[in-house]
Amino acid sequence: MPKFDYARAVSIDEAVALLSDPHCVSRPLAGGTDLLVQTRHGPPAFQRLVDVSRVPEMRTIERRGDEIHIGAAVTYTEIIDSELLRETATCLVEAAQLVGGPAIANAGTLGGNVANAAACADGIPPLVCLDAVAHLVSREGRRDLLVSEVVTGPHQNALKPGELITHFTFPALPVGARSVFLKLGRRNAQAIARLNVAAAGRVSPEGRIDFARLTPGSATPRAVRLTQIETMLIGCTPSRELFEEAGAEAARAMIAVTGRRWSTEYKEIALHGLVARALRHVFNLELER
Amino acid sequence: MVIEFKVNGKQVSVDAPPDITLLDLLRDYLNLTGSKEGCAVGECGACAVIMDGRLMNSCLVLAPQAAGSEIITIEGIHAPDGGPNDLQQNFIDYGAVQCGICIPGMIMAGEALLMRHAQPTRAEIRNALAGNLCRCTGYQQIVDAIEATAKGRQKAI
Amino acid sequence: MSHFTNPLEYVGQPARRVDALEKVTGRAKYIADYKVPGMLHARCLRSTLPHARIVRLDPTPALQVPGVRAVITSDDFVNHGLYGFPVKDKYMLAWQKVRYVGEPIAAVAADTPQAALAGAQAIVCELEPLPALFDPERALDPDAPQVGPDRSDGRHPNLKSDHMLVCKGNAEAELADCPIVLDRRYFTDWQEHAYIEPEGVLAMPTPEGGIVVYAPNQSPFINQGNLAMTLGLPLNLVRVIQPVVGGSFGGKDDIIYESSAQAAKLALITGRPVRMVFSREESLIASYKRDAMHMRIRLGADPDGTLRACWFRGILDSGAYASETPFTAWRASIHAMGAYRYRACDVDVYCVYTNNGYAGAFRGFGNPEVCFAVEQTVDELADLLGMDPIDLRLKNCLRLGDETAHGQVLNESVGLVECLTTARRLSDWDRKRAEYSRQNGAEKRRGIGVAAMYHGMSLGAEGADNASGTISILPDYSVDLTSGLTDYGTGSRTVYTLIAAEELGVRPERIRIQRPDTNTAIDSGPTVASRTTVVGGNAMRAAARNLRHTLDLAASDLLKCDPQQLIRVGESYIGPDEEAVSWEKIVDHAREMGLILSAHGKWSAPKIEWDHHHGRGTPYMAYVYGAQIAEVEVDMRTGNVQVLHLWAVHDIGKTIFPQGAYGQLYGGITQGLGYALTEQINYRDGYIQETNFESYLIPTSVDVPEITGQFVEAPYSYGPYGAKNIAEPSLVPTAPAIANAIAQATGRRIRELPMNLERVLLGHDLQPAGSKKPVEAGLAIAPR
Repeated sequence: MPKFDYARAVSIDEAVALLSDPHCVSRPLAGGTDLLVQTRHGPPAFQRLVDVSRVPEMRTIERRGDEIHIGAAVTYTEIIDSELLRETATCLVEAAQLVGGPAIANAGTLGGNVANAAACADGIPPLVCLDAVAHLVSREGRRDLLVSEVVTGPHQNALKPGELITHFTFPALPVGARSVFLKLGRRNAQAIARLNVAAAGRVSPEGRIDFARLTPGSATPRAVRLTQIETMLIGCTPSRELFEEAGAEAARAMIAVTGRRWSTEYKEIALHGLVARALRHVFNLELER
Repeated sequence: MVIEFKVNGKQVSVDAPPDITLLDLLRDYLNLTGSKEGCAVGECGACAVIMDGRLMNSCLVLAPQAAGSEIITIEGIHAPDGGPNDLQQNFIDYGAVQCGICIPGMIMAGEALLMRHAQPTRAEIRNALAGNLCRCTGYQQIVDAIEATAKGRQKAI
Repeated sequence: MSHFTNPLEYVGQPARRVDALEKVTGRAKYIADYKVPGMLHARCLRSTLPHARIVRLDPTPALQVPGVRAVITSDDFVNHGLYGFPVKDKYMLAWQKVRYVGEPIAAVAADTPQAALAGAQAIVCELEPLPALFDPERALDPDAPQVGPDRSDGRHPNLKSDHMLVCKGNAEAELADCPIVLDRRYFTDWQEHAYIEPEGVLAMPTPEGGIVVYAPNQSPFINQGNLAMTLGLPLNLVRVIQPVVGGSFGGKDDIIYESSAQAAKLALITGRPVRMVFSREESLIASYKRDAMHMRIRLGADPDGTLRACWFRGILDSGAYASETPFTAWRASIHAMGAYRYRACDVDVYCVYTNNGYAGAFRGFGNPEVCFAVEQTVDELADLLGMDPIDLRLKNCLRLGDETAHGQVLNESVGLVECLTTARRLSDWDRKRAEYSRQNGAEKRRGIGVAAMYHGMSLGAEGADNASGTISILPDYSVDLTSGLTDYGTGSRTVYTLIAAEELGVRPERIRIQRPDTNTAIDSGPTVASRTTVVGGNAMRAAARNLRHTLDLAASDLLKCDPQQLIRVGESYIGPDEEAVSWEKIVDHAREMGLILSAHGKWSAPKIEWDHHHGRGTPYMAYVYGAQIAEVEVDMRTGNVQVLHLWAVHDIGKTIFPQGAYGQLYGGITQGLGYALTEQINYRDGYIQETNFESYLIPTSVDVPEITGQFVEAPYSYGPYGAKNIAEPSLVPTAPAIANAIAQATGRRIRELPMNLERVLLGHDLQPAGSKKPVEAGLAIAPR
């Protein structure tokens, strides 16, 4: 007796129909890098997996005016190879490079990463940093949520049964802005993020920060933009001291959410350092990572 | 369910449960035991195959996902005369093989790399192997073997 | 016969591993690849409590599960399946008590792996928890929960081994007289072998009522002996064959013997082949590990850097069963002082029972643990005195002619000085040491550190140390070898082939070494302790030499001369008439003469005298020496350590199979690097938290730097062609070299392994409370 059934969708409509089938609890499957590990432990919470990895509309990467559009079934390798994303979303490309070895990158998708909603996800902080919107579709219609709203807690998402993330969009960063992603793991590859940081920013011709984004990951149950720190940075001249202050603030912001946990003594120091380093890199203060 | 795909150039049709992995399908239904289970969670790469031109951990591919695909396993890597190809021979010549359990996955990772990148640096080779764990060799001679193969293929052009 | 004045033709020359072809083509078959008609699948029911009495065990419900064919418990074995060496304290299936989480209680054979799991889960097993012991430093308290078996000698039942002592002079008095004394504590963690091939066995009943077991064990004869004993069969009805093994590193002994006995009994009951294969989770939960060790060292020295006294105490937390750890404790005691001269020493190492899994053999076998302690302490002494760490070691290290603190005079083959000076030169040590001592960066800092080591060869005083090999010429002129020692990736098959080729004077391509098989090989003791090249290699050399004498006899008869007049050119024989005669013709003639075209050879290690009570004598016949230097970059903001490069120079006597020797060097270093930085095992109330490779972290290709390796050859006269070994020594000094580099980079010493992010950044570890969940989930994995 198989534990679950399989169906392959070749279009979004077909996927939605399969996922909304009231007689067969179904979940979307793309790369399987999280799902197939989870099915190893205990009976699955679904009766069928609907393979969306080959739905063409979910596989595109394109620019539409000022908006970048990434299909939810785009793999990390495709993100790494995309000239468009390398130019417009460095932080996302760097995250894709660090998510795992080549075989994982060939299979894993942003849609899967977001839906899985792990606190240590590498794909989520860059998307949140870029203010990405997740586009959802179900039998009831479409709705859009910020990625930061899709993730409601560790391994918890706001998706309704039968709902599918079809693609993500985010506004192109302002001209001249840079972004970066840093990951801290216990080893250099195939590692769960102990902490990660996505940051973006721009310095005006006058030498002042006029654009700033900061999203740590694996620090709090949900990754969010640290808007207070972003605001603090606007109008300032980039300096080592400024970014150290931002790092310290980021650590305080983390503790405000989590309280002092078993890992806090380490994370408050390391997050401070990583944030400061990410900001120095974004604002070109030094290239050492 | 019936799953049809190409493996090592041959069209196959297998009737298998939908909830098994491609690794189980290859090993138990097609008797292609060259791909190994080392962890079953996509960490060790001993199960790696090339699927539609991309390196994949077959333990994380659901068997029905292979339908319509072209899969290459270690059994499909050889010279035209059936003997070892240049990469395999270099693995032998450069001492890259000890216990051998990781080797099929390493060779698939090497072939997949050279498909995308003809002249990788040693650092790039290491990156390409980052999802293949080896406990015996310390990786160095494996990198030597892949580097030598890249150079050899370049010369042959 | 002028053969020996020729340079070596095969030994030491570039050669290919004899079994590489089947491995690169995917044709090599490991145990999980074996499929046999009628084969059943076996699965164990394992304990989910760390210490409990088995109050009720009713396996019969398993037989009601569709597909289940048999179920066994300890009652199905002779004497409940009691086995173990040097201490018989374990059972093939638990009897009356369980003492660690993961201990096997019952085993089921069924048509499918899923049915076997369902059968195991249907067994009624009531466990009554007993107080458990997790702190080895409390193990010998009068009120400690009893984990070890009852004793009749009045000693604490939780004492697993004797106190292993090394004594010279009066260490307390000497220390009291030393101007400088360092008193330091160290902790080294459990380490999992993490062979990429999980455990598995295949047992097949024979028509004669016996059993054939395919098992990836290191030592087939020990398995055979255990099977015969616990199954109640004569040895000649028990055959053990070792298939290709996907890595072992010391880890595929006990766990394989138990699985073999379980599968064998199920096979005998059902009359069908039975295969048992572990998932990675089951492997991590149930298999034995390297012990964790708690150490305290007091090192006394003069201001000029002369080491004078070493006082050392070590407790091995070696878990619920003895396995090999009494021997680990002994080797640890011998090496605890490091490769230095002392005026006095006082070493006392022992192991205790706890309910933290259990520990057994792992590459290095006590030396990696103590080397981490002594090499950091010596290094700290150098810092204190303002002396260069290599200079301090050169001042004190063992040299030819020295007497060790054990009382052994080192008469030959001591290459440590050359290892240190060569590593110094290769790594550009002096310039980097100076440069890194001047840095003051806030973000990243570099450091370079050294560690020296020595490693006693083979079993030493652990027991009888000999091996046997056989060689035969088949009718098609191919040559067949057997050895009682095995190859699990280590390369011994190739080493023996090269040795036999060299001695016999034929191309290695003629020679084929058989799979280890108790039917055809001769018991040579365990394949452990890096003894295969020396002990097994000498035996193979003796066998080949014996056979060559036979052929020389035939050649001298055919060529009508004395054997001394024969010359070999390639494979051919040439007599006084200067006509080359092919090897095949000589073989034919030998057959015609009625000579036997096979031989066996045995070699016994020189006698070892070790006075266990006084801690003095000659612990090992000889030692391998080495020095490793690590260059690191420490991220001062996160505690992340990158090893930028490693240099390793080891004195291995003579390199027989260069490619293989370098492979063992790089591989051992890589395990040492993981031991140093990332491999951590957390037992929480006896439950392991790391149950697969996403949480048990071994180094990937991008964690290991380029390694510069070199061998120094200070020949050992008893070794084949002067050879010693490299398999274990390569792992021993890597962690302390990295620790010493981190100390230079950060100014801080980390005295606990692994040196993870938290320890490097904060100076101490942080761990969550942990839970039973990883174990419970891991043992319930339904095979797909």
